[in-house]
Amino acid sequence: MTGNSYSLAPVWFTDVAGSALIILLSFLAVWYAVRLARTQPSNVIWTYLLWLCVALAGFAVSRGVGHIAKRFLLLMDMRDVWVSLRPYSGGINTIAFVVVASVTLFFQRVHKMNIGILKDKEALEKAGQEVMRLNRNLESLVRHRTEELSRSEEKYRRIFEGSMDMIFILDEQGGFADINHAGLEILGFQNPENFIGTLSLAELFASRDEFDKLMADLQSNGFVRDRQCRLHTKVGTEIFLLLSATSRKDSFGKIVSYEGIAKDVTARLHMERQIQQAEKLASLGQISTGIAHEINNPLGVMLGYTQLLLRDRAAGSQIYDDLKTIEKHARNCKAVVEDLLKFARSAQTKKSRVDVNQCLEEVVALLGHQLELDKISVETRLESNLTSVTADSEKLKQVFMNLLMNSRQAMSGKGRISVRTESDPGKAVVRVIFSDNGCGIPAEHIDKIFDPFFSTKPAGEGTGLGLSVSYGIVQDHNGRIEVESRPGKGSAFTVELPIHEDENMNSAPEKNGPTD
Amino acid sequence: MVIRSKIGFVLILAYIFCSPTAATAFQSHPAPEGLYVHQLAHWFFILAMVMLAYWLQVNSFTREKGWRLIQVSCILLILWNILAFTGHWVEEMIPNTVISGEPDWTQRIVVDSVWTGLYYAFKLDHLMQVPAVICLLLGIRSLYKHAAREEQIGDR
Repeated sequence: MTGNSYSLAPVWFTDVAGSALIILLSFLAVWYAVRLARTQPSNVIWTYLLWLCVALAGFAVSRGVGHIAKRFLLLMDMRDVWVSLRPYSGGINTIAFVVVASVTLFFQRVHKMNIGILKDKEALEKAGQEVMRLNRNLESLVRHRTEELSRSEEKYRRIFEGSMDMIFILDEQGGFADINHAGLEILGFQNPENFIGTLSLAELFASRDEFDKLMADLQSNGFVRDRQCRLHTKVGTEIFLLLSATSRKDSFGKIVSYEGIAKDVTARLHMERQIQQAEKLASLGQISTGIAHEINNPLGVMLGYTQLLLRDRAAGSQIYDDLKTIEKHARNCKAVVEDLLKFARSAQTKKSRVDVNQCLEEVVALLGHQLELDKISVETRLESNLTSVTADSEKLKQVFMNLLMNSRQAMSGKGRISVRTESDPGKAVVRVIFSDNGCGIPAEHIDKIFDPFFSTKPAGEGTGLGLSVSYGIVQDHNGRIEVESRPGKGSAFTVELPIHEDENMNSAPEKNGPTD
Repeated sequence: MVIRSKIGFVLILAYIFCSPTAATAFQSHPAPEGLYVHQLAHWFFILAMVMLAYWLQVNSFTREKGWRLIQVSCILLILWNILAFTGHWVEEMIPNTVISGEPDWTQRIVVDSVWTGLYYAFKLDHLMQVPAVICLLLGIRSLYKHAAREEQIGDR
């Protein structure tokens, strides 16, 4: 059988050019696959494609190089070389086939893996978004709550700090855990650091029993309401607080803190006491005036007739001595009556501009020797350029003398009396303060010390009119006399005299006795 | 007793190693095996490409242009493999005398039967393989561009 003869040139050129093109194109594919894998490194499909392209490039090289080598070796008459290389070329080519096919068959596995990764990624993203959302919500919630809390805290802090009453928190031991500014001011403290955590309420109470009772009531009832308590400030001044408090317990019923509010009622109590005192003394003054006037006239008659009888009797006789005794006691009675009239402001006063310091110096000089004998030192701190007041100087001296004598009597043995003067331009008064470190005045006596005939001394040792007379004189000068006392530690009498006297310089005797 | 048994064991081993005979444990692999392995490799390649084209289809990868081109590349490679496999088979069928001349582009072939005609045609298999690789390249390039665009959008 014969046939047509055809040139194999197309085959030859197609083989060489095709092999070269395939090598080139496959490497281009590898290059794109590398860039693709780099664009999204986490995508395993792109990694798979890269491996597939690498395998195909390997296949292209093994096959293309083999084909080109064959063509050129045969062309250069190197058949022997080709014959020896051929098995290797063919073998490598076959292996490349298998490798490409093997890599290709991993597609489904890689795809499933990718789906799993994508699902995980999606789930992670969803979870992340959810977490972000929750976080945002949480942040918003926290911000909202914080703002609310801040507003609430600010509101209660304003109430706490702005309150004019003392608001405090005590720990379970009764120590101060917190206190507002007003509380610090009431108790005479400046810095909360020196107060909170260092002081306890018990230390401020005037009476330990009173504190114990308060705590016992708090522990048993859980609260106390409007309990009047007596406390001492930092400087020792006595104050009265109206205290309401509650105890706070934990889940086990154990008291963990006390919270309370206290109102300073010292001024109110003081005022009430003064009003009561003034009313009482006004009543007593009225009675005293009546009695004094009724007694004064018979006493004058009795004294006159006694003196007439004494003229006719020789001195040294029995009757003369008896009449002298009558005269002495009648004069005593008259002195008492005069004192009563002074208390009742019925005595004549001669007012003029008086230097209070000078009056005090005279009185201190007069009593100085006697006080020295009693081992009592007198310390005077008189304000220089003290404003003069309109007053009856003799009566003022009597007041100062009475108060000094009263301080002397409050001391058994040696002691110290301090006399201080000061002007208060704000209130337009001059203040004279007598303080001693004597025995003090018991609380039950403090309301009675200005009462006429009230005396703690044994009968016969005093009339009990000294402070009453002083009170009457000071009232007559439109002034005030006040007392503060701490039993066992001493007392302080404060006399306030107005700088400007509006009334007539010489006041007429009044009929109604002392008034407030 | 123990030493005596050890000496005996060593002597037996020495006898075995010192008395070799013809080795018949392995089977010889003559030349046709290479062709058969190569042909089987073509089938393996076909199988892999069929599977890939199928998976791309069923997993809806072909909705993207890049993967569609890769699928086309798979189909072209399948066809090329068939051509190559058939070409190898046909090459075995035709006598060497139909090709004459020096082994260069001046060679000629006498097409005296269907087999030689087919042989000539199958020898131009690169006309199938080159487009297959071009499709693969274009497919990957398309995927790369798409991915790069997505990344850019993502970055914005």
